[in-house]
Amino acid sequence: MIKVSKSYRVFQVFNVIIMVSVVVLTFYPFLYLVAQSFSDESFVYAGKVTFYPKGFTTETYKEVMGEKFFWIGYKNTVVYTVVATAISLFMTTIFAYALSKKRLKGRTFLLGFTVFTMFFNGGIIPNYLIVRTLGMRNTIWAMVIPGAISTWNLMIMKTFFESMPAELEEAASVDGLSTYGILAKIVLPLSKPIMATMALFYAVGNWNSWFGAFLYLDDKELFPVTLYLRNIIAGAQQTDAASGMDTDKSTQIAATIKSASMVLTALPILCVYPFVQKYFVTGVMLGSVKS
Amino acid sequence: MNRKLNALVVGTLVLSITACLFAGCGKKGRETDTAADTTAANTATADTAAATGVEEEAGKPFRAEEAFSVSMLFNDMPNYPLKDTWTVFDEIRKKTNVKLELTVVPSSDYEQKRSLLISTGDAPLIIPKTYPGSEVQFIPSGAILAVSDYVNLMPNYQKKVKDWNLQSDLKQIMQADGKYYVLPGLHEKPKYDYSLLVRKDILDKEGLEAPASWDEVYDVLKALKAKYPDIYPFSDRWKTDAITNVAAPTFGVSAGWGAGNGLRYDSGSDKFLFYPITEDYKNFLAYWNRLVKEGLMDPESFTQSDDQAKQKFINGKSFMISSNTQETLDIQNTMEKNLGKGKFELFHMPTPAGPKGNVVYSSRLENGIMISSKAKKDPHFEDIIRFVDWLWYSDEGQELTKWGVEGITFKKDSSGKRTLMPDITFNGMNPTGTKDLRKDFGYGSGVFVYGGSQELKMSMMNDLEISLQNSMADKEILPQAPPILFNEEQREQFNMKDTPLMDYVKAQTLKFMLGTEPLSNWDKFVAECKAKGADAIVDQANQIYVKTKDKLK
Repeated sequence: MIKVSKSYRVFQVFNVIIMVSVVVLTFYPFLYLVAQSFSDESFVYAGKVTFYPKGFTTETYKEVMGEKFFWIGYKNTVVYTVVATAISLFMTTIFAYALSKKRLKGRTFLLGFTVFTMFFNGGIIPNYLIVRTLGMRNTIWAMVIPGAISTWNLMIMKTFFESMPAELEEAASVDGLSTYGILAKIVLPLSKPIMATMALFYAVGNWNSWFGAFLYLDDKELFPVTLYLRNIIAGAQQTDAASGMDTDKSTQIAATIKSASMVLTALPILCVYPFVQKYFVTGVMLGSVKS
Repeated sequence: MNRKLNALVVGTLVLSITACLFAGCGKKGRETDTAADTTAANTATADTAAATGVEEEAGKPFRAEEAFSVSMLFNDMPNYPLKDTWTVFDEIRKKTNVKLELTVVPSSDYEQKRSLLISTGDAPLIIPKTYPGSEVQFIPSGAILAVSDYVNLMPNYQKKVKDWNLQSDLKQIMQADGKYYVLPGLHEKPKYDYSLLVRKDILDKEGLEAPASWDEVYDVLKALKAKYPDIYPFSDRWKTDAITNVAAPTFGVSAGWGAGNGLRYDSGSDKFLFYPITEDYKNFLAYWNRLVKEGLMDPESFTQSDDQAKQKFINGKSFMISSNTQETLDIQNTMEKNLGKGKFELFHMPTPAGPKGNVVYSSRLENGIMISSKAKKDPHFEDIIRFVDWLWYSDEGQELTKWGVEGITFKKDSSGKRTLMPDITFNGMNPTGTKDLRKDFGYGSGVFVYGGSQELKMSMMNDLEISLQNSMADKEILPQAPPILFNEEQREQFNMKDTPLMDYVKAQTLKFMLGTEPLSNWDKFVAECKAKGADAIVDQANQIYVKTKDKLK
């Protein structure tokens, strides 16, 4: 057994205390949310719900899950996430691989062009005009194509591919593999960690996105569940004009319905995360080290 | 792979991607109407519309000869989301032969999407739920129609304006060119909603009467504090913007939601002045400061969330809060579940009188409809205007969108009183009903129901709303200020000075009320306002007002 010094012990104690506090601070809001969603509405309004549900009821969940548009939204979110992640992964990989090769003609220009977009953006209206002119408005493509390549992820992937030993690819080409063959048979199998990480990044980003849907989609049948959620949380809060004569100021959406919807929307990501966590940790570091 | 094929594939890809880069460059701008266009199109204004034909056409049902569809922006409220069980759109189509094509927008971001669609020229032709004042930003680009030019096609609208004497109210929305660009919701009588909600059972217990003036509010709070020293008897919500807005006119000023641009009209001198630097405003601030200083009003009222304020009231940690009728019903229901029926009594008071009298400020115009300029190009343009007139302004159309179909969703007895069918519930009526008029059928929604006659409005009010309207019926309604007809350039100039000035006023108002800034520094505040341009904007406003006064005749 290695003898541990006293100062190290002290450090350990402090470390644990701080870490536990961080865990509590980040975990408590979620715990509160879950408690709220299982509680009776009146207890929530009276402020009596803290850690665990009061007046335990599953009625709220039944009500939320009985909403047709909640499920339509959920289906849309799943479809958009899967398709968007697939397209994003494909496009980011081939672009990153190409950029990682120093012999690419016009590489500096392409790199500069890409980095430029990290800092400057056309703005909402020009983006909207492009999407509309290309006929993508009010279709799934508006959700999936505009954000397909995230330059940040692209740079990480490029760095990763650069770190692959060139000798490996040279040996493969000597053996007769074409460029695409090398990519498919040698590089990709070795890139599993980074692919998993990128898939996770893209998937979470797409799952949570609502702004694109809000801008480009007009039909309620196409809305993702996050937009539905946003409307529930923010929609009934409007304070109207000074003379407030709106006949619309009806009962706000119950806090319990909001929390139940939030829990249901976050659930899949929560379930998937523990399994891909290891890739996440190694993958993020992978892109940063140049060998 | 074949090198040539490879090059061909790559070349095509490169070309198509480059082409996409230029997709955004399209036809320059959308059709922008020049002033010449609008005046040439149709010259009749509401005032000069031929009187003949107005009376007889109002009240007639509208049916398009040829069925057509028109696009409309639809505000999707989460508490009654658009559903396919809704019958309202089919019923409209049955009666008028017009199909509404909806662009659905979640209400959480309605204004933003509306701006986006109008700016990019993709807006639907009918844009409802537009508050008077919010249409101003779209006027310079010519994207929306100067509807005042076309009201001669709207007999129902004109009849209501005439019957309810709304001509001077309409001047509020007039623009520099003498026209107005939004069709407002018209109310026969103003609707009262926001006021103080108080625990009547506590008042009775301590032998206190519900206060009728702001001085009496102070007395009541002081008595309550003496008996319950550990709590703040008044803990407010909406960051006090609601109650200060209601109280300010009784002190001769404006505040809260109604703070506006700082100008107030003095009918005696026929001039505008900057109210934050007047003695009246100092007295107003002193009043609230006194409440906070003596521990009668919770200092957190100015910053806490609505939920926190409501919780304090529901748990008996405060006895007075500002409220609107819907919120009062909500609080009542929650307290019944927590405390039990009969264990408490709530009273939604009529708004208290102030130093300037038993007055109230209320507009009879509410949110309304904009029409996109593109509508002019539609072959059914005149029918579209007539359709809007029927749906939103005729008695028949208003009854349809509010109550539904007679025999299916409601019934009328011989005296004309309407009641919902037994299984249908709404706004506290038929509480045991399984279907909700709004959630399941789509009637009574905020997209169609604006204003209306007093009779129609009260037909759907619950007891609380009715008693509030009645208790406030004898208040004196302050006259509306005449509008200042800025043109676009003047408005921009004005806002450049006014916005930072009002930000300063609001920040200082909070400090004065809380007491973090003593009122003895009042003169410093006045001087600072003047340094920030208070006099300049008053001068500019008065200049423009004097010059454009004739347009208001």
